[in-house]
Amino acid sequence: MLRMRYLLVTLVVMISLKCSGKETISGYIRDAASGEALVGANVIIEEFGTGTSTNEYGYYALSLEPGNYTLIFSYVGYSSVSRSINLKQGIVLNIELSELLHELEEVTVSSQRVNSNISSVETGSTSLAIQSIRKIPALLGEIDVIKAIQLLPGVRMTSEGSSGFSVRGGGRDQNLILLDESPVYNASHLMGFFSIFNNDAIKDVKLYKGDIPASSGGRLASLLDIRMKEGNSKQFSASGGIGTISSRLTLEGPLVKDKVSFLLAGRRTYADLFLLFSKDESLRKTRLYFYDLNGKVNYQINDKNRIFLSGYSGRDTYANKEYAGMGFGNRTFTLRWNHIFNNSLFSNFTLVNSHYFYDLGTPEGADDYFDWNSSLDDYGFKGDFTWYSSLQHTVRFGASGTYHIINPGVVNAERNGGINQRLELDANYSLESGIYVSAESNLGSRFAVRYGLRYSIFNNIGPATIYNYDEAYQLVDSATYGRGDFFNIYQGLEPRISANFMLNDLQSVKASYSRTRQYLQLASNSTAGTPLEIWFPASPNIGPQLSDQLSVGYFRDFLDHRIQSSLELYYKKMSNSIDFRDHAQLLLNPRLEGEIRIGEATSYGAEFYFRVDTGPLSGWLSYTYSRTFRDFPEINDGIAYPAPYDTPHDLALVLSYDIVPGITVAATWIYSTGLAYTLPAGRYEVMGNILPLYTGRNEYRLPDYHRLDLSVTLKGKEKPGKRWRGEWNFSVYNAYARKNVWALNFIQDDEQPDVTYAEMTYLFSIVPAITYNFKF
Amino acid sequence: MSIRSAYLLCTGLVAILITSSACTERFDIELDSTYQRLVVEGSITTDSIRHSVTLSLTGDYFSNRPSSRVQHAVVELVTGEDTIQLPESVSDPGRYETPSALRGEPGTTYELIISGLDINQDGEQERYHSTSRMPGGPELESIELRYYETPVASGYTVLMYASHPVDQRDWFGFKLMKNSDLLTDSLVKYSVLSDDIFDSGYFPGLPVGFFNDDDPREALHPGDTITFELNCIDEAYYNFVTDAQLEIAGNYPLFSGPPANIPSNIDNGAEGIFTAYSIQRLSLILPSLGIPTPR
Repeated sequence: MLRMRYLLVTLVVMISLKCSGKETISGYIRDAASGEALVGANVIIEEFGTGTSTNEYGYYALSLEPGNYTLIFSYVGYSSVSRSINLKQGIVLNIELSELLHELEEVTVSSQRVNSNISSVETGSTSLAIQSIRKIPALLGEIDVIKAIQLLPGVRMTSEGSSGFSVRGGGRDQNLILLDESPVYNASHLMGFFSIFNNDAIKDVKLYKGDIPASSGGRLASLLDIRMKEGNSKQFSASGGIGTISSRLTLEGPLVKDKVSFLLAGRRTYADLFLLFSKDESLRKTRLYFYDLNGKVNYQINDKNRIFLSGYSGRDTYANKEYAGMGFGNRTFTLRWNHIFNNSLFSNFTLVNSHYFYDLGTPEGADDYFDWNSSLDDYGFKGDFTWYSSLQHTVRFGASGTYHIINPGVVNAERNGGINQRLELDANYSLESGIYVSAESNLGSRFAVRYGLRYSIFNNIGPATIYNYDEAYQLVDSATYGRGDFFNIYQGLEPRISANFMLNDLQSVKASYSRTRQYLQLASNSTAGTPLEIWFPASPNIGPQLSDQLSVGYFRDFLDHRIQSSLELYYKKMSNSIDFRDHAQLLLNPRLEGEIRIGEATSYGAEFYFRVDTGPLSGWLSYTYSRTFRDFPEINDGIAYPAPYDTPHDLALVLSYDIVPGITVAATWIYSTGLAYTLPAGRYEVMGNILPLYTGRNEYRLPDYHRLDLSVTLKGKEKPGKRWRGEWNFSVYNAYARKNVWALNFIQDDEQPDVTYAEMTYLFSIVPAITYNFKF
Repeated sequence: MSIRSAYLLCTGLVAILITSSACTERFDIELDSTYQRLVVEGSITTDSIRHSVTLSLTGDYFSNRPSSRVQHAVVELVTGEDTIQLPESVSDPGRYETPSALRGEPGTTYELIISGLDINQDGEQERYHSTSRMPGGPELESIELRYYETPVASGYTVLMYASHPVDQRDWFGFKLMKNSDLLTDSLVKYSVLSDDIFDSGYFPGLPVGFFNDDDPREALHPGDTITFELNCIDEAYYNFVTDAQLEIAGNYPLFSGPPANIPSNIDNGAEGIFTAYSIQRLSLILPSLGIPTPR
């Protein structure tokens, strides 16, 4: 490890020396109106027909031989800018792009239109602009980035209305969700029906489904990278909305113009405020709400240094003041320092803290007072470097370390005048580290390759008690480790390789291979999950999960890149996969590891994506055919079975159309094969109850799922000098009232005990919503 | 209020909120069939009674008729070197009873052997076998009734005071009687508990039963006699009951794992349970003054 660190430092020093014979054009590309950095904006050198794109902070750099060049700066939905450069020495060229109005687009955009779908080396990744997400009809009008992600190929929701998602057959816990680089362990509100991400505070959303950058690790299936806005550095502004179940307000502006800006966003539901008017006293004492707070400050110290401080805090509360209550929430904190060593070497140093907690209990002073708490804390550091060595080569390298503290559960109970009980499950301590290096090279004008290597290390740290089990998972003995003991280690290489061969400017073929490791997982065997689930680490009993994924894709654009399409095939083999024994006890179980079974999983599929952005009409069609199977010797009699999210056919059609300026209609139609399900094939009777008899896990299917959502957005007329801009959004979720099966159960009739019948539960019929959004 | 009750209350509140627009309705579905299996239900306790074993068959899930009893089996109970034949009841075919009253002894292993059957109809008779060791150890000291009122339900909770050995794993079952009516008369109503998370060796007023005011059969009135029964059960029976209750409770995406067969301690592919458990009982009479009564 020390040797690797030494190599990293040496690499930085070497790169800091000027590259002989080349000069660098570098700078930031920002939104002209707000000063927000534009992520993924393109910089094309007209003479070469190639170029680069901005990183997550809006920074770009091009190392070129001295000479005359024409640079074209472009970004989806923005007017392009062209600059002629006489490059003799390093130049800092910051560019501001103006947002495009649709009616001007046809004449403004020409050959410089973004073609990253064709030229990018990445496979299996999709960026969604927050403007696109806002157009999608939403449940109860709550715009939700995760619900938008679920409409992409290879991604499906885990159950009706849930903000959990499965990527290429992976589990809910196999997605690394980062909010400003801080991991989010439970991204849901209201038992999963809404995500924690307030769309007003979000700038950029990018999902990596397989070809995860070497800079990230720790999850098998995907990386969902969500970046918060930095705050308007030009002028003070506010935006918000009043919705059916919640209201939100975002304030942003410069503290020092073009130097320091801030963003503060809040959202709260208000269902419980109406309960105060209830005639039922018990309901008046009931609190049911969630809230989110996002904050960010960034300080541009000088051209070479910039600091970002951002945080999130959110909580759900479901409680009755007299009897019991439950709460859960996340807090994240991120401190980042961008430093430019020289114009070709960009660096970012990050400190993060992520805290997830839940609590459950009765009020203090109650006869049967109890308090149940669980929490998870991450303290992490990350250093990332990008070296723009030449137009053809970009090298990225860095290191990271995260200290995990998991408190699975502490219960304090007091009963009958002071007789106390305390149950405390041992906390888990672990350190997850990684170093990586990757390079992206353009070999000629048509072939590009990205190759990277990540080396990850995981340590279990004492104090800890590890239980040992025999082959029948019966407890044999235990081993105790002292505070600070590094008593277990897992480590391994994670190669990530991808290549792109451009057949021409409108077609390319891509391929990738990636290996990922996962050291933390969720103790859950339900499809949607509750907040009371806990994460648990790899240990001497539980090896790290491993995934090897191959994918190939054909990418084709039409109409000057206004229509983008792709067909990707993937095959994923997962080992050390985790499932749980039948009827596993996962809550407050000190011997949780005895409930775990280890096996393998395989996933393969084809994903088709067709995206349209022609001005007034935008949206996409995604279709996925995929299968995922699990093979566990001790589950289902050792016979491979469909994974919980195995969905052969999954289709989403998302369209929005600007009928006239100020009126936009949008529709989403979703269809997917019903989830794999276990149904009884027989029954028997014991103690007066009819019990089911199954013949195999997940061998049947629920009925197919489909749903249509619609919305109309009416915008007020914009007048010169008038800053207030308002819009009404009317939406209907499940417009044709499809009764999609959420749960299917088999019931013994109370009146006729020998009679059984099937009963379905569906969550939503037609759900209309009205939201008023404003901005000034 | 127990932790479990509070958890159910909280999740119930959420479920009410979430599913305010949710509906349930009967659902037509065709299910496959599977081959027949033997089903065994039998127990030996410390009560001095004629204990019985009932044999039946599995059937199609929507057969909607009483399960078929299995007659003419040879049923034997082995304790140490003694073997007792259980003859089939004349009045209740498929039910096999000890010839006379038998009192089980804690610490004894009881072995059940069933033969003389050809359930799979392959022309060869099968032999089924199960064992259960009757646990002992805990000492029931007292019980208390306490009245609770919550948004979900109101009524009397039974609190149990009992000691149990700290150096062994124990599993418990709880039964309630109101006067002479056994309220916990089905798998769903039978409460079981593992002492895995209780390491003090003492249950200081553990909630073990509830008399719901809204249920006329359960609602208590002054003068009612309450009988609480503490069963010390083995792990196999505990697992059978908890897993059966999970299956009966239904499957919901938020809370449930995948449905699965309920483990049986009968070999050779039979379903059901054979168990031996010890019993301790305490009774009290609800006083007539100074106590809440059902509305």
